[in-house]
Amino acid sequence: MPFNAQPLRGAIISNSIEGLDQLYRSDHRIQYDILEITADFQPDLSAYQVLIAPNGTDHVALYRMRDRIHKFLDRGGALLCCDGWFTDWVPGNRWVMDNSRKTIDVRYTLREDPFGVEEQFNIQDLNFSHGISGWWACGYIEAAPGATVLIEDTWQRPLVVVDEVTTNGIMVLSASGPLADLSYATTDDSKAYEAMSNLYKALLNVILQNTPKEEVV
Amino acid sequence: MKKIGLIFNGVWSHYAFAKATKYREMYELLYVHDLTADKLGEVDALVIPFQSNHKIIAEKQNLVYDFLAQGKKVFVEGDSSANWLDARWEDRPVNNYWWVKDPTKPPVSDTDYDHPIYRGLTPRQAFWHYHGVYTRIPGHAQVIQTNVDGEFITWETTHYGGHLLATTLDPIVEHGIQQITHLDNYCDRLTEWLIGIRPEGDFVIDQADYGVAF
Repeated sequence: MPFNAQPLRGAIISNSIEGLDQLYRSDHRIQYDILEITADFQPDLSAYQVLIAPNGTDHVALYRMRDRIHKFLDRGGALLCCDGWFTDWVPGNRWVMDNSRKTIDVRYTLREDPFGVEEQFNIQDLNFSHGISGWWACGYIEAAPGATVLIEDTWQRPLVVVDEVTTNGIMVLSASGPLADLSYATTDDSKAYEAMSNLYKALLNVILQNTPKEEVV
Repeated sequence: MKKIGLIFNGVWSHYAFAKATKYREMYELLYVHDLTADKLGEVDALVIPFQSNHKIIAEKQNLVYDFLAQGKKVFVEGDSSANWLDARWEDRPVNNYWWVKDPTKPPVSDTDYDHPIYRGLTPRQAFWHYHGVYTRIPGHAQVIQTNVDGEFITWETTHYGGHLLATTLDPIVEHGIQQITHLDNYCDRLTEWLIGIRPEGDFVIDQADYGVAF
């Protein structure tokens, strides 16, 4: 394992939504804190190497603290956003909602995989939850030039992007496809659940291999 | 035109619903952390969607009950909180695939189709899935929907002045997500019940609404 003994510190943005505390599990690789959004939410991110915006994030609050996030990234921090960021707080990348395609026609495929993610999860299992396709992501990402598009949809629209070029840090983005250790109400299909969880672990490995261990200050 | 205030905690499905061309003239996003009596004074009805920040709503519950005391309508969907509602919500597994296994056996058993929101809906339009149940509702409430175990899914009371209708269905969030194709039927009737206006047209997403300042 190329990782240092000390785990990363991850900050999970909380919108006080039911079930969030069941999604992420601290372990030897990463220790999570939950940062609960308040009226004037401007958290100190200096102790963290990873910032997580989970499904159901408050994108008004994150827009209001975008300068802090940009500084965090420029100092080498890692951002994982698995939600639809309709406000302009993610540098260089835009998420767009879309309803022009039918979910029955949606399939997820790997476009490029320089990180070996394919060996860590089964994308075919992600495609169907109880036989229903198009369940995982919504809309698509307009990726920054030079960013890696890991997963795309039937129409080659980016759904999972790893951006190592726009900032000095790393951004792992999904088009509102939930990414977590555990599922809460997203799916109880065992294969889809496992695929989602394994994809999260694989993307966390990408972050672990690209994030300095020292404090991002 | 009358307006519905949509209590909003920055969740994208709330935003997508309120910005869709079909609904944007009728719904006003009210950011929960900035909510004041003055802002509520500008709207005629309230929607509190699934995935709301119930901790903050509980802190501002007087605003909601003052709104009801003015004789106005409040619609609460999805999960809820006993911290501000005189009821007990409990979590349950979400079954959003029952229609694949057996479309003749939905997990909801009884629906009051005489209620204005439900009048004219088919069973599939009146129920898709629920997020938890109410195991206790106020004694003054009327039951509108129950599940197969007899637990409360939808109920309404006029005890606080106006109409308070709570359901563990999630029409606003799911219509914003746009993965269930029949939700115009529920949301249009809901809108008409709230402000007397029936929306028309398609759910069109304007891409210019994404990647914005807020």
